[in-house]
Amino acid sequence: MLYTVDIVTENRPGVLYRIAGLLTKRKINIERINAYAVKGKGISKIFFTADVEKKVMETLAKQIYKVIEVADIKYHEVSH
Amino acid sequence: MKMSGSEILIKSLLKERVEVIFGYPGGANMPIYDALYDYGKQIRHILVRHEQGAAHAAEGYARITGKPGVCLVTSGPGATNLVTGVADAMMDSVPMVAITGQVAAEYLGSDAFQETDVMGITTPITKWNCQVTHADEIVETVAKAFYIASHGRPGPVVIDITKNAQFEEADFFYKKVVVKKLAFTNHFDDDEVRKAADLINRSKRPILLVGHGVLISGAEKEIDELTRKGEIPAAATLHGLSVMSWSNPWFVGLTGMHGKYAPNVLTNEADLVISAGMRFDDRVVGKMSEYAPLAKVIHVDVDASEHNKNIKADLPIVGDIKTFLKDLLPHINTGHRRSWREQFRILDKKEQTAEKKRLKKHRDDITMDEAIKTLSEKTNGQSIIVADVGQNQMFSARYYDFKKPNSFITSGGLGTMGFALPAAIGTAVGNPKRQTYVVVGDGGIQMTIQELGTIMQENLPIKILLLNNEFLGMVRQWQELFFDKRYSFTNMTGPNYVDLAKAYGIKAKKISKKINLRTAISEFVESKESYLLEIKVAKEGNIFPMVPTGVAVDKVRLE
Ligand SMILES: Cc1ncc(C[n+]2csc(CCOP(=O)(O)OP(=O)(O)O)c2C)c(N)n1
Repeated sequence: MLYTVDIVTENRPGVLYRIAGLLTKRKINIERINAYAVKGKGISKIFFTADVEKKVMETLAKQIYKVIEVADIKYHEVSH
Repeated sequence: MKMSGSEILIKSLLKERVEVIFGYPGGANMPIYDALYDYGKQIRHILVRHEQGAAHAAEGYARITGKPGVCLVTSGPGATNLVTGVADAMMDSVPMVAITGQVAAEYLGSDAFQETDVMGITTPITKWNCQVTHADEIVETVAKAFYIASHGRPGPVVIDITKNAQFEEADFFYKKVVVKKLAFTNHFDDDEVRKAADLINRSKRPILLVGHGVLISGAEKEIDELTRKGEIPAAATLHGLSVMSWSNPWFVGLTGMHGKYAPNVLTNEADLVISAGMRFDDRVVGKMSEYAPLAKVIHVDVDASEHNKNIKADLPIVGDIKTFLKDLLPHINTGHRRSWREQFRILDKKEQTAEKKRLKKHRDDITMDEAIKTLSEKTNGQSIIVADVGQNQMFSARYYDFKKPNSFITSGGLGTMGFALPAAIGTAVGNPKRQTYVVVGDGGIQMTIQELGTIMQENLPIKILLLNNEFLGMVRQWQELFFDKRYSFTNMTGPNYVDLAKAYGIKAKKISKKINLRTAISEFVESKESYLLEIKVAKEGNIFPMVPTGVAVDKVRLE
């Protein structure tokens, strides 16, 4: 299932790497990714699209949310 | 007042009430060591013989005290040597603060001498990590590290401090940090508590699974009350051992791969599984799709990401197990489940028959069961058992009669051979009032055997029970059962362990005959100093029951 995941995080080195690691661990390939720092707020937004098994997505989102710097995460299925 | 980053670090550790550091010096942490030199009275430093030992010792310390274990190593090889222990702490939810020296910031990324990407290497095996390149970042980082390591689900954090930050001067004002996200652990409401109580009260065949979370949260009493009041049979995971003792009639023993026959079989007949601070590891559930098919599942865990990860939960509860149980207990009706409990006893008999048959095969040789049972008797089940990995670990788990909580320390999630000897240094330092026993195989002891030197130097009265089968026993057992007895590279020639221990000034003895077992263990237990007792055990002894990998738990094998 193709999902789009929206993450709000504290802007700190290594956060993207930590999130990417959670995908790599499960051999999930990122189809699209975009990230930017929100000016003056010390936060970043990360969006990615990836093919993730339905039953894995809930756990993956919770694991990403466990990353200390992550403030919020939302995901939704991408309709083809 | 301005002071060096190194001194700021030491002062920050003192503010976090650190009493012991397990460490090893090198080029990239020398300024920190230099600062430590002046604080010898306030902080005890234990010089290990290999950085892996520092990490495992910190784990042992953390697990016995409940406080984060601290280790301090240099960059490059110091940090990479530490990695196994950090990964181990991550898997077993052990609070740890690991401090690594790093090359000066100006050299970062230049492949400088002893530079490794510590952040890169440790990111997947830490709860959090942070690189510090300036002295004025140290206080906040340390405060945050301790908070994160010990709040919510505990875990290891790594602080990588570049050498310039250790030299640089800054002001020292200590301020504790609260990480909001981890400040609130209980995310359940009354409605969920009542739902859980309702599921429990209506269940005819419930089984409670007691995990490491119960020890971390200190909920032994609540578990005891729940089982007795509700008449609920309770099994323990490897890390949940010692929460309950056999004096509670509702305790049914270890479950999982080498757990007892009854809890494994009857999990698949239960109509309710109550999971208390355990994560349905594959070594507990066997074939996931065939696990507890008749049961509703209540899963209590502080870590929400464990819910529905392996086993679907009908009622996931996010929270601290002790708080939850306290709320739950008033709603629990007095249970009437003796006949359900009786079914466990019937299956226990079946297991005992198989066990007797197995022991008959080894009339002359000492078996691991006998060694552990004798140790258990002679110590009245009161000691701290630090078991390594393999058959020795599973026999310890099965045959030591734990009578006190928090008494079984072993590497569960990562299954790290070589864990026991250094981890025992941590438990002995962390709780000198209780006696620490190491149980280890001839394979595992040789992985970290150099820590005998640490035991010698620190004069730690650690007792080491070496169960020598001259094999990598657990692997050999699998070869026997699943690879047609093709013993491919699992027999191991060992050194003269008695001479070796003696070379480290540690008392030692070796026995191989059954008739000497009881006196040898008595002498071993009574010794006031460190002592290595090598027992030559049956070479091809096996541990049963066993749930082979990927097989349903009710297909557990008795032989
Ligand atoms: C570091 C590490 N390497 C390899 C293994 C795989 N392994 C698991 S049990 C075992 C055998 C252990 O042998 P020994 O220490 O002699 O203990 P025994 O099983 O004989 O009690 C091995 C090799 C492991 N768990 N850890």
